Amino acid sequence: MTAIQVTWLREVRAFRGAFSCCVPVAAFLSVCGWTFVMLLRQHEGSVLQIQSIWGVSVAPWLPILSAVLTMRLFAEERSTGMIDLLMASPIRERDLVIGKFLSAMTVMGLSLALSLVVPMAVLPSLSAPVHGLVRPVAFAATYLILLLQASVWCAAGTMVSVFFRNQAAAAVSSLVLCSGMPVAVYAAILAWIPSVRMEMAWLPLLMHVYDFSTGLFSTAVIALYVTLTVFFLFGCSKLLACLRLRG
Amino acid sequence: MLEIDHITFSYGNHKVLDDITFDVAPGEIVAVTGANGAGKTTLLRVLACLLMQDSGGVRLDAVDPLTRPIKYRRGIGYLSEHCPLYSEMTVEEYLTYRVRLKGERNLRVRRRVSETLEQCGLEEAQRTRVRLLSHGYRKRLGLADALVMHPKLLLLDDPLAGLDVPHRKKIAGVLTAASARAAVVLAGHEIHEMLEWCTRFVVLHGGRVVALYRVNDHNKADLARLLECQIASGTAAEGVP
Repeated sequence: MTAIQVTWLREVRAFRGAFSCCVPVAAFLSVCGWTFVMLLRQHEGSVLQIQSIWGVSVAPWLPILSAVLTMRLFAEERSTGMIDLLMASPIRERDLVIGKFLSAMTVMGLSLALSLVVPMAVLPSLSAPVHGLVRPVAFAATYLILLLQASVWCAAGTMVSVFFRNQAAAAVSSLVLCSGMPVAVYAAILAWIPSVRMEMAWLPLLMHVYDFSTGLFSTAVIALYVTLTVFFLFGCSKLLACLRLRG
Repeated sequence: MLEIDHITFSYGNHKVLDDITFDVAPGEIVAVTGANGAGKTTLLRVLACLLMQDSGGVRLDAVDPLTRPIKYRRGIGYLSEHCPLYSEMTVEEYLTYRVRLKGERNLRVRRRVSETLEQCGLEEAQRTRVRLLSHGYRKRLGLADALVMHPKLLLLDDPLAGLDVPHRKKIAGVLTAASARAAVVLAGHEIHEMLEWCTRFVVLHGGRVVALYRVNDHNKADLARLLECQIASGTAAEGVP
């Protein structure tokens, strides 16, 4: 087994029994289900497809779940002192970071899959034309964009947790970064280039979800999310290496 | 084997290690001692690659940790002062996890773990959760973790602190056996116990090496008194044995 696999396995096992995993995931699923039902009622009679409603109801909650899931990844290691043993072991910081990130993504992927339960339960009660339009591939595309967004939030959360020994502080900081940064960037774009207001009527993150759910794929969007994820993970491994400079 | 060459380390303007130089040969057990704040833990952390020195160099069998960090770290086993462990795992699970993380091949993992559990007297505790272990057993598990890959150099930070006599004797026995194939550098204050099985003493004061002593059967009593005085006063004594 490689260091990445060993780290991933240990973290997934730790998630399985962690209060900081089960409760947030349950809360996430409840909130997503409630948002989905509310949006469905709100858009009754409109042209929105069911997978779009699912995607738009899930996407806003992803940063919160990511912040809670990733808060313990390095903050816990630093508070217990295990980080010393990990850093003295013959493994690269990069492997440690990727293993931990993948464990958070595993939980995130499962949570996203479970959030489909409510739409699937509601589907049979919808009228025949809507029911007939539903295609698994459309759900798969929505799942892909949600997973891409989740990977950015998880990577950012993993990086933020390196800064802290206190998990709560890591979660709050990660939440501020994940929720505040996109809104700030969006507001800045609108302030500097008011002419794009019509094109960016929605927050781009929700727009991306909507586009993918309706079959409008964009390699630029995929590249953006992958680049951001790699950037945060790279930053995380460099921050870990910096711990050696001053402990 | 281990060459420590004019190491200096500072936290901001506060110099914690100042021009530390000594060598450790295979089979030696070197005790680094001194008053609290003398720089013992910082020295071990530099040797374990947890801190990067401001100047000077470290080499383990000619391997420099700055240029070949993974190879260097493959050669060391480190026991931290507070002995952190994953409390939700059992003793066996923890050791298996650590062996795999250190890159051992799957086929050899079980053998390494069982050998080390036996070596450290942890067989009867192997299915016990780490959170239920006493302080003594936690130290032994930390030591097992450091030993499990048969490193060339063992770095042990205060391995005897807070232990009762049977646990101290057990750890001393494990270290003496381990020194047959590894060099050991340990930090601690338990001079009388360490005199029984350490081969050399390095006395630190204010981040500087103030004395180096070789232990033999004839000078143990004198050395014990000398070390105690020296740690208290922080000066090099005349008539070093």
